[in-house]
Amino acid sequence: MLDIAKKALEYASGRGVEQAEAYVSRSRSTSIKIYQRKVDELLSNSGSGAGIRVIAGGSAGYAYTSDLSDEGLARAAAEARDNAAVTAPDEFTGLPSPATEFARMNLYNDKLQQTPLGEKIELAKSVEAAALEYDQRVAQVEQAAYSESQAEVAIANTLGFARSYRETSCYAFTMAIALQNGEMQTGVSFTTGREPGQLDGRACGSEAAARAVSLLGAAQSESMTCPVVMDPFVTAGLIGVIGLALTGESVQKQRSLFAGLEGRQVAGTGFTLVDDGIHPEGLASAPFDGEGVPTQQTPLIKNGALQGYLYDTYSARKDGCASTGNGIRGSYSAIPHVGPTNLRVQGGKGSQDEIIASVEKGFFVSEVSGIHSGANAVSGDFSVGAAGHLIESGRLTVPVREVTIAGDILSMLKAIEAVGDDCRWIPFGGSIHAPTVLVGKMTVSGR
Amino acid sequence: MLLERRMAEKVIDLALEKGADFAEVYAERRVSMTLSLEDGKLEKSSSGLDLGASVRAIKDRSTSFVSTDSLEEEPLLEAARLAGEGAADGGGRAHALGGGKVADKHFIEVSPASVAAAAKVELLSAADGAARAVGTEIVQAMIGYNDTCSEVMVASSEGCFVTEERTRVRLVARIVAVREGLMQTGYDSVGAHKGMELFQERDPAAVGETAAKKARTMLDSRPAPSGKMTVVLHRGFGGVLFHEACGHGLEADAVEKGASVFADKTGEKVASELVTLVDDGSIAGEWGSNAIDDEGVPTGRNVLIEAGFLRGYMYDRLRARNAGVESTGNGRRQSFRHPPIPRMTNTFILDGESSVSEVFASTDSGFFAKTLSGGQVDPATGDFVFGVSEGYMIEAGRVTYPLRGATLIGNGPAVLKNVDMVADDFEMNIGVCGKDGQGVPAGSGQPTLRILDLTVGGTEV
Repeated sequence: MLDIAKKALEYASGRGVEQAEAYVSRSRSTSIKIYQRKVDELLSNSGSGAGIRVIAGGSAGYAYTSDLSDEGLARAAAEARDNAAVTAPDEFTGLPSPATEFARMNLYNDKLQQTPLGEKIELAKSVEAAALEYDQRVAQVEQAAYSESQAEVAIANTLGFARSYRETSCYAFTMAIALQNGEMQTGVSFTTGREPGQLDGRACGSEAAARAVSLLGAAQSESMTCPVVMDPFVTAGLIGVIGLALTGESVQKQRSLFAGLEGRQVAGTGFTLVDDGIHPEGLASAPFDGEGVPTQQTPLIKNGALQGYLYDTYSARKDGCASTGNGIRGSYSAIPHVGPTNLRVQGGKGSQDEIIASVEKGFFVSEVSGIHSGANAVSGDFSVGAAGHLIESGRLTVPVREVTIAGDILSMLKAIEAVGDDCRWIPFGGSIHAPTVLVGKMTVSGR
Repeated sequence: MLLERRMAEKVIDLALEKGADFAEVYAERRVSMTLSLEDGKLEKSSSGLDLGASVRAIKDRSTSFVSTDSLEEEPLLEAARLAGEGAADGGGRAHALGGGKVADKHFIEVSPASVAAAAKVELLSAADGAARAVGTEIVQAMIGYNDTCSEVMVASSEGCFVTEERTRVRLVARIVAVREGLMQTGYDSVGAHKGMELFQERDPAAVGETAAKKARTMLDSRPAPSGKMTVVLHRGFGGVLFHEACGHGLEADAVEKGASVFADKTGEKVASELVTLVDDGSIAGEWGSNAIDDEGVPTGRNVLIEAGFLRGYMYDRLRARNAGVESTGNGRRQSFRHPPIPRMTNTFILDGESSVSEVFASTDSGFFAKTLSGGQVDPATGDFVFGVSEGYMIEAGRVTYPLRGATLIGNGPAVLKNVDMVADDFEMNIGVCGKDGQGVPAGSGQPTLRILDLTVGGTEV
């Protein structure tokens, strides 16, 4: 892999090119879908490709190819040079100087590859079985899936950086459907790890079933303003949106709701958020980012006060600071951008039950929908679909669906009154480690 | 042809060898260019190539799928062998492949490949300039451009052997406006299954200006109300509501598992008689159109709901086979790395007989959803949401002031029955629909229409 990256660099160098970088990745992924105790779909993908960046005349240009032959690399290198010619020159454009110290993490687990396919199929089947066995009202499991990937990433640049790493990851996911008197409710769950032995398939199935069953009989509630307890699934949705606004780039470009608030109180005092690129369990962890900069732990919000922002090399130079290792490159074909790695909320005190018990009258939200359309990381407007239960005298009572919860993001963060000790990894909309939280006041819209 | 007939036959034969009853090879070559402009300058430019194929083998209801990023014989045969093993036992046989038909529907006047990158940059600059000219409140303009030219080829054990060239161009504008600490955004886009001639028909400057005006308008907005309201949905963008509210529930994969509120309802009245919903992937030049779907089946016009009655579902080959019907040409995939699944193409509500002015005039008090920012549905329950990026209050039959931060939430079957007025000003809009981790270009459209008793989720109780 590194050899290919170095070869790509040779093709990209010269002819007025000041700096060049090659990102080469190779991955194999398999996914298994079970339906009614049989394999519904068995998918296997293998692919590789190279992304090339050149800087010529102070301008950056990118190109990619899935063709790693000499001819393919040469063509991509030439395209990258052509593309640089149309990009505006910028004094802050440039590649990072090579670092020498990188966090040591075990991202690759041999067991992923060694585990026979049959065992992985059994794991996926156990997810479905656990959901069906959980409650007789679980009519079916629309999807029970196991998915895994192993990848190798190599980056080389003309400043002398040349490194690679390997990683494995896998997850199981399911959606259960509960049925009662012609009414259907759904519940999802998942479990993640570096190899299938780390996945708890039965817990995944049971949780999805429990979530679906708990919503049976749900109806729209009245519109009200009240305290809202967010399940970790829901907290993660909110954190994912915040992550977009916590980059140095979005602040520089006047499209962040956190602009100008550094050092100020932006959340409840119990709320601490870190971007953690080196956590061994975080599926977004890597020794270095998409530009070869070492990843790190970057405090974003500490005890409610805004600490700083995430940077790639370009946006860091613009602000006269160092990259935080957040130059994200989703794949060889993606243009790098600034973004979070693993966003981790620091666990607080109390279980979900204890937090619910502290609320006299409120709304417990177990799932949200429409985050990508209803939450705006620029304006801070937040209104999303929600389902869950009413809280009365500290206990969950009537199930509720077809309502929205709304507020503006800064007011919501400031209204965080309690943070639970039940952090868990949520792989939706990023890699997020989130607990139950209590937001003191939000608007619930229904009848 | 991306693959020679002899090679395609070899791959299909090998995939069938272990007993699959259907085998298919899908090959694709895709070149793409992306440009993005922000802070008034062209910041990022990228282009590239993706090339590869996937082999699919089906035995009864079980699918085995293997992709490889090569069109060379060895990796293709390896993919065929693995796919065939994944769908073992029994015994299948291949029909001879057809004539190597070229599906041709979309005449591309000016291929993006023939246009210099510098000329494309001018389109973005025009959108940027027009956006910033809207007013001093405009603090940021993000203009994105993408063109994609792909060649796809499908060959199957049923004798299908067909290829299509597809060209799409798209320009989007995201604008930020600020006044006295209030920050708001505006969005607009154009796109089509066309070449650069799209920008002769649709001025890129107008895209920037429209998005900027939306952002500026929203600076005057008040927080949206909460609760049940009469909702007027603007033409064009409003179509995404029906995409979510019932489109996904009419896709055959959800239907065959009974995981759709519309399962087993063919022939039943599921909507107001004013509602006729059509999916049509064959409209020349339209964003969600192709001559063939990604299984080689010609696209067509499928009436899903006719005057309120459910007429049919959207099928790919596998689900059609399971149901004993013909594919409707809705088998789509994001790329050769993804298996085809039933998907919408261009989905829209047909014109009604009311005039737009009547719709507003007869609304005493309501919410006007002018621009929607996308949504989500749970097909099993029919519950859907979608965000309103540009909304207004309607008072005494007139649109009065803008509203921000609203999401509409409802239940598909209930909303379909509550459509009580449909105007005659039909328009299409474009988007990218996500399902099972696959994004595909999808169009949606409708005339201005009115829905009773829809929940508006704002912040003001």
